[in-house]
Amino acid sequence: MPSKTRRLVLLSLLLALALIMAYVESFIPLPLPIPGAKLGLPNIVTMVSIVLLNWPMTLLLVVARVILSGFLFGNMFSIIYSLCGGFLSLIVMTLLSRRSISITLISVFGAIFHNMGQLIVAALVLQNTNLFFAYFPVLMLIAIPTGIITGTAARGLLSLLKKTPYLNDITEAYRGKLK
Amino acid sequence: MNKKEMMIVGVLILISLLGMGAFYLYHMTDSNLLVRVSVNGQTIGEYPLDEDLIQSFETDDGYNVLTISNGKAGITEADCPDQICVKTYPISSPGETIVCLPHKLVVEIVTGN
Repeated sequence: MPSKTRRLVLLSLLLALALIMAYVESFIPLPLPIPGAKLGLPNIVTMVSIVLLNWPMTLLLVVARVILSGFLFGNMFSIIYSLCGGFLSLIVMTLLSRRSISITLISVFGAIFHNMGQLIVAALVLQNTNLFFAYFPVLMLIAIPTGIITGTAARGLLSLLKKTPYLNDITEAYRGKLK
Repeated sequence: MNKKEMMIVGVLILISLLGMGAFYLYHMTDSNLLVRVSVNGQTIGEYPLDEDLIQSFETDDGYNVLTISNGKAGITEADCPDQICVKTYPISSPGETIVCLPHKLVVEIVTGN
């Protein structure tokens, strides 16, 4: 069993990394005038966490990242949208990660469901269902290339991390999942 | 990604394109178009799309300026933090929307009776 302290350290490192990703992302908005269209760089860290750790730990990571980055680089209202997007995307990615699907494709689905979660909240808050149908197809189309980019980055990062001896005992319990 | 997964990505792209097409077909109409402004789901104004207009809307959270010109409606000024509504391209087809999430304000093109 991996030691709790080392797992905590790994989780903290991943959180710091996710926050940096959110910070970097705030400098490179997609040149598209569509609300919610983002690269999704923090999702790289979410995927690494799903593979290295497990979903309850990743849930902690996502909640902490969304709240902290909301306070640091966003605003209060952006937190609730990101939380719902993050939850839905985490559920979908966790379920898909149990099957033999490449990380790139998991990332694409994660990106699509992140948008779906955000749009559901927006449609509820604004009491306008038309909004969902107006934006979802466009956001879905954007999510495919951005999902492939972040998924490829996550795969590269994971293949490097697998070679790190430091992570061995932490990931031992989950080694079966590493592909 | 292998061939099978490339095909899944292809299907996803197709679904999103079909979704966009279906949305425009569903909203296609010959009748007069109106610009509806709503806050929190409550309609606060409806204006014909073929008449030029500059109108400011005050909400509890701030203001948005709606401009209708040349059959297109857009938000030209707002004091919201993200400015996404201002950056959104002016809209002209039924069903299209401009959203200001911070102010919970929605501008949409609807068909008039």
